[in-house]
Amino acid sequence: MIKFSKAITAGVLACTLAASAAAHAADVTIGALFPLSGPNGSYGDIFGSGVNLAVEHINADNLLGGKLSIQYEDSQALPQAGVIGMNKLVNVQKVPYVLSAFTGVSKAISTIATRTKTVAVNGGGVGPDLAELGQYFWNMIPLANYEVRAIIPYLVNERKMKNFVLVYVDDPLGQAIKKEMEAALPTAGGKLLEALSVPATAQQFGGIAARVRAANPDVIYVASYGSQQSQIVKQFRDNGIKQQFASYTAFSIPQINAQSEAVGSLYTSQDIGWESQDSVTKRFVDDYKKKYNRMPTAYIANYYNCVRLFGLLAQQLIKKGLPVTGENLLKQRLETKTFDMVGGQVVFAENGTVSMPIQINEIDGRGGKVVRAAGK
Amino acid sequence: MLLLQLLINGVQVGALYALIAVGFSLIFGSTRIFHFAHGSAFTIAAYVFYDLVSIEQIHWLIAVLGASVAAVLFGLVLNRFVYVPIQKHEGSFFTVFVASFGVGIIVQNLCGMLFGRAFVAVNSPLSQSMELLPGLYVAPLSGIAIIIAVVFFVGLQLFLSRTHTGMAMRALSENPELVRAYGLSPRRLSMTVFALGSFLAVPAALLSAAGSGLNPAIGHHVMLISLAATIVGGVGSLRGAACAGVLLGLAENLSLAWFEPQWSEAITFIVLFLFILFRPSGFFGRVTAS
Repeated sequence: MIKFSKAITAGVLACTLAASAAAHAADVTIGALFPLSGPNGSYGDIFGSGVNLAVEHINADNLLGGKLSIQYEDSQALPQAGVIGMNKLVNVQKVPYVLSAFTGVSKAISTIATRTKTVAVNGGGVGPDLAELGQYFWNMIPLANYEVRAIIPYLVNERKMKNFVLVYVDDPLGQAIKKEMEAALPTAGGKLLEALSVPATAQQFGGIAARVRAANPDVIYVASYGSQQSQIVKQFRDNGIKQQFASYTAFSIPQINAQSEAVGSLYTSQDIGWESQDSVTKRFVDDYKKKYNRMPTAYIANYYNCVRLFGLLAQQLIKKGLPVTGENLLKQRLETKTFDMVGGQVVFAENGTVSMPIQINEIDGRGGKVVRAAGK
Repeated sequence: MLLLQLLINGVQVGALYALIAVGFSLIFGSTRIFHFAHGSAFTIAAYVFYDLVSIEQIHWLIAVLGASVAAVLFGLVLNRFVYVPIQKHEGSFFTVFVASFGVGIIVQNLCGMLFGRAFVAVNSPLSQSMELLPGLYVAPLSGIAIIIAVVFFVGLQLFLSRTHTGMAMRALSENPELVRAYGLSPRRLSMTVFALGSFLAVPAALLSAAGSGLNPAIGHHVMLISLAATIVGGVGSLRGAACAGVLLGLAENLSLAWFEPQWSEAITFIVLFLFILFRPSGFFGRVTAS
């Protein structure tokens, strides 16, 4: 009798465990390698707001039949810390899909992604080299070469500003932008008077302002990010520099848009029709505004799209009864071709990078305005 | 004109570096505690000042007082509840350093959580430059930084040489046992050293909040400069730390006349390296034989 009751207990226990396992069979964790501390920590908050909203939407729609969760790791926007975080995500958490940010970090982790067949998706780094990091590295953002090529003709031809000084952070992103400017400026009829590189940790720019003033340019193109770009803008203006500032998507973050010294700055970003009435964009914009009480930016939309892309691909794989692995996600992406995302339909080029139209914006102290729409 | 501009910028930056370095050097020289969290006292003072002036809209004089109290309290609490217990258990120099480093990381993250991780600055017309000569721009803040550095340094020298507490603090670095023999408490003197050293970080913190702006990680940079200035100036020499701070600020800025800005920070460490190689005792440090 005792043996029989023990057998029943064991059976009930086994059934409970099996039921529990079945209930969580489709629970999936993906990774996010964002700077959560250090001078670029504010980007982690910005990117994370898009990621978290996408996770909420995917779970609310029960897209995967189980719960999707995110494991965040702090890259500090540094390649070394990024590699440590990536190893943890891939080897300990065994995630099939990792969100990446910053050119240096993305380049550093791409080899791990390829070796372990883990998909890494970048929604924030814009170094042109990111298009060449192998089939497991995807970019959900147009890269800097497209941004530089969009703003130079506008400044030279329409604003009649021909003389440029480039102040760039000495990392793969800054070097790529310098290379692009050196190639694009002479073709457009402009001239690069000086290219001044600054270390990623530099915080004093009074002396560099003196060099810029001595060069007397029409435009100062700032290729930096995070706190440093804000410090450059403030200290340059404080040091009597009145010329036009120009930059790339990095200027779209709220902190620089709220900075009085940055008013009048021009920057490129991908064109996202925030007013679009398609269901994906409308839901994203409405829910983001409701949750954060402000308009989203391109970065936020990109990381929302990165997670949404995972949701769509994983949903297809689950329907087919295939495991959600990096290898299968890649196959599914190549098979599906187009995706309904925030901002419209997205198509990946062969190198795994999306192509999107670029617009030129101006910081006006009131949330920014588009001064040149995409495709014009 | 570029050289003159860089020279003025160098003196201003150097004055700030000198103020920070003197505080660190005072603490390290007197107590032999490698107070890595000195950068955190700077960060705390700067953020408290920013919060009181820009967020709470309180008069700047009260904000200065608030920032000073916060920095001094931080130094005192850290000494009493972290360094003293470690030393009581005969923790090594390295243990103290790791504890201090850990506190620095905690403060950085706390500031990020409380004030946000984005760049912030105290808006002040004093940070805006005026054209004194054609092509020569100087902000009132530059003059203020230099005056404050001189006043603080002279005041500190007078305090250390003319008051009993100051002389006891100097003696503490030489021979704590002798200090005890004279009926003084080395622990109480250490507390005074930490209070004073942390207070010395305040003016530079406030000037940085208005001049270059802040982010929670700013303390690390401050610490690197303090360390370099302390070694270049000679460990324990306040005069040396002050001169080295100015030298590093000048080197960082004047190098821009000939080199890429990329090299300006490296110049600091080239200067440090040259001193370690050719004059390991620094500007005014004493050569000791082991």
